[in-house]
Amino acid sequence: MALEDYKNDMEGCSRCSSCKWIPFNQVKSWRFAHNCPAISRYNLHAYSGSGKMIMGLSMLTGRSELNESIMDIIFTCQLCGACDTACKVYRDDIDLMDVLLELRTHCVEEGELVIEHMATIDALKRENNMLGEKKEARGDWADGLPVKDINQETVDVLFHAGCRYSYDQDSREALRGIVKLLVDSGVDVGIAGASETCCGGRAYKFGYQGEAENYADDMLSRVKSSGASLLVTPCADGYSAFNYLYPRMKKELPVEVLHISQYLERLLKNGEINLKNNVPRKVTYHDPCYLGRMGEPYLGDWQDSKLLRPMSMKRAGRNGVYDTPRDIIKQIPALELVEMERIREYSWCCGAGGGVWEAYPDFAVWTASERIEEALSTGADTLVTSCPWCLRVFREALAETEKDLRIMDISELFLESAGICSPATLKGGGAL
Amino acid sequence: MISDEALGAFQVIVGEENVSREPAVLDTYAWQPTINDDPAKWVYRPVAVVLPGSTAEVQEVVKVCNKHGLKFKATTTGWGVYSGPTSDNVVQFDMRRMNKIIEIDEKNMYAVVEPYVTGAQLQAEAMKLGLNTHIIGAGPVCSPLASATSGWGVGWDCIYMSYSARNVLGVEWVLPDGELLYLGTPGSGSEWFCGDGPGPSLRGILRGTSGALGGHGVFTRCAIKLFNWPGPSELHTEGLLLDAQSEIPENIRFHMCFFPDRDKLADAVYEIGDAEIGYLATRVSPNVFLYGATPRLFRKLTRTSALRSLLSETLKWMFVIVLMGSSREEIEYQDAVVKKIVGDYKGFSLEMTEVPVIGPILPMNFLRVSAIPAIFRLGGLFTTALGRNETWDTQLDWAEVGEELRKRRIEQGEVLDDMGDNPFMALYENNTWSHCENIYQYDTRNEKHLEKLHTIFAESTIRAMEICQEPLSSFDWRVRKILGPLLYDYNYWQKQIAQSFGAEGAADTGMYCDEVDYDLSAGDPQLKEKLEKIIAEKK
Repeated sequence: MALEDYKNDMEGCSRCSSCKWIPFNQVKSWRFAHNCPAISRYNLHAYSGSGKMIMGLSMLTGRSELNESIMDIIFTCQLCGACDTACKVYRDDIDLMDVLLELRTHCVEEGELVIEHMATIDALKRENNMLGEKKEARGDWADGLPVKDINQETVDVLFHAGCRYSYDQDSREALRGIVKLLVDSGVDVGIAGASETCCGGRAYKFGYQGEAENYADDMLSRVKSSGASLLVTPCADGYSAFNYLYPRMKKELPVEVLHISQYLERLLKNGEINLKNNVPRKVTYHDPCYLGRMGEPYLGDWQDSKLLRPMSMKRAGRNGVYDTPRDIIKQIPALELVEMERIREYSWCCGAGGGVWEAYPDFAVWTASERIEEALSTGADTLVTSCPWCLRVFREALAETEKDLRIMDISELFLESAGICSPATLKGGGAL
Repeated sequence: MISDEALGAFQVIVGEENVSREPAVLDTYAWQPTINDDPAKWVYRPVAVVLPGSTAEVQEVVKVCNKHGLKFKATTTGWGVYSGPTSDNVVQFDMRRMNKIIEIDEKNMYAVVEPYVTGAQLQAEAMKLGLNTHIIGAGPVCSPLASATSGWGVGWDCIYMSYSARNVLGVEWVLPDGELLYLGTPGSGSEWFCGDGPGPSLRGILRGTSGALGGHGVFTRCAIKLFNWPGPSELHTEGLLLDAQSEIPENIRFHMCFFPDRDKLADAVYEIGDAEIGYLATRVSPNVFLYGATPRLFRKLTRTSALRSLLSETLKWMFVIVLMGSSREEIEYQDAVVKKIVGDYKGFSLEMTEVPVIGPILPMNFLRVSAIPAIFRLGGLFTTALGRNETWDTQLDWAEVGEELRKRRIEQGEVLDDMGDNPFMALYENNTWSHCENIYQYDTRNEKHLEKLHTIFAESTIRAMEICQEPLSSFDWRVRKILGPLLYDYNYWQKQIAQSFGAEGAADTGMYCDEVDYDLSAGDPQLKEKLEKIIAEKK
């Protein structure tokens, strides 16, 4: 695809500004009515979904040219998809998110590159992860765990840890706890260890589609050789890449793909695990963009006029994973769940996505701080999420404040209640 | 191209990050397809965009514009062609940083807001205090300040909350020379409770019927009248639009009333107005509901003569009224009155709140006016022949004229097929007067649709004159020269006002009082001929 292929989408923009707000029926206050971190922080219309589409149209029709300033605006965006969801409340004929992705690819093809992204992509090519860590150390997190190595034997369930979880020391105990829980529950689970690589999803969002395809090929061959019929990942980015991006790139994985929260819920329903320990906390749940609205499965291509596209072919965010984490939370004894104003498909982004964490860390932390403010407004003492990137940026943002809030992954909460890990061993579970 | 000196002066005042002259960035203010009958859809590109963060900053940047011979125009959420520049050499003020609700005075029932507060935000906060705000027909994304001070302001709730011009109380106004003026009670140092003083009362000059649309300077704060909200502090809703399921308060009723013919609808609505009931009210065609909700099904229905007949003839005379009562007795009284009036005029009413699935969709979509932008779903864009405020009977006539004109265009493939009957109608203040404008659906990517768009307004105006109705009001500077003689030379006075306030040469007055020659014959030679004849007769 090329920018030209999205001309109809861009020309369809009525400039109504709905893309800047959560869907209007859900606006509950002045404070938390906004949905887009970029326009909320930088204010020029160009930073909004509409603005980026109009800039794309302007460049495509020769009214203006791509330069470093415009490239900077294009990449100052988490690709969280909130604008796309808001737009699609009213529009069937615009795929705003696709335009945003294509604009990035256009920048890369035109040689307008974000330096920090170049460095990250170089490290990815070298070390097969988005953090620039040594690839040999990728499987260290599982040292001593009685888990199968898919390089040695076939398994029923392939556990893909993802880049962030594999290397983030703060999440290590939770990751080990989850895999131990699966093994103890009798699941025939295996990992790729040091040979696991990045899913490529973030490279795609940086505009490097070719790299993403390479990693998709790599993943595809690994899944096939593992013999698994199910892939489980705790990484929301990976979940979205496997469920949406891979089929879109015609590299669909031949297995069922579940986020860890979905698999844990399945085990709970089957009675294979019990949540027995009281966790006397008041928690609020943050929907990660790439488990929620951007986690929807790929719906297939629509070749006709988008005006004629049925709702079932519109990626509107409604089929993301929203209820599963909440169902788990509600099953934890003594725990109270309170909701923020912006949830589900109109959730505010954590700030870490779309290459912002790598290139614009201040903006990432600002975005996370906004979410922390919203979490605190509910009276919750704990902010729970189900994505390692959200977890990391929330913890970074919280560290810059004096606020009293715990940040936890859904897995950590689960392990605490299941009695697998004690609160003191978990980063989010311990005292601040 | 703006000079480095002027740009630097802006940057000193508002900060570097709040100024841009990047062509692509500026184009995000120049793409204005809504209610823009120019096929290109681009308006003039501003020479710079500036985002002031306070009234003092607005004053300063206005003075810089004056010093450097630049015009300026303020915009908020920026939906509609009237938001953008109308000439070269205009600096666009994006008011996004001024986005606070300064106060909500619960006792005196008003809110003081900055330009970038939206209707949705103000309503959400007002409801917490048992109050509500008028939301215009363009929907909850729009700025109450912009509507109150600068343009139109009609909506479904006008039967109870009137329209924007009537709800503006105090105003903080940066004049085109940078001076600050307060209208209404804040003009005498008082609170913001009255638009007519003590203190200067220039409500008519401020905006009149249609508003100056940015031609008067910049309005930086205003007080908006709030109204009783007898519902809960938050109308809990799951879902986003058509999947929305709201809790339904006991004191709300939603009546879809159908009448056998136009006259019975007209008389029944007069009686409803006399009874002084209703919270929201509109006459809307069932086909509009249908194409907003299910545009693909609607396209199929338009090819089915029996269903077409059912929607556009049998069920055509539909009227929607939402009732809210402050007590059970009041809602029961209002409910009984509606049922009696509808029965007296041989109609029938469907009370929708009890209908599963559909009932809970309605409250937020109507009370917040969230449903309105669903009209984009048929083709992606719409335009309007605009309208004027008249008696209900006259407006029903006007809706029928609109249908006649629209059907001809539908037959010729110039607009999308909405079955013809597509007026936007509302009642003001218990139906003492009312509003009607005819909506035309089209696809901006369809060249045939774009080709004849610009003749809609002229054609409508001519038709109005032919049947002895008042011409329509318009912000289009191309037709102002034509309309002026037909409407008591109104523009002479608008230009006098602009001169008095120093607007000419400073504010972008294109949407307010500028005039240009416009050759109608380019679109349709017959239109020009007809119009000249009518003007001659009128003189």
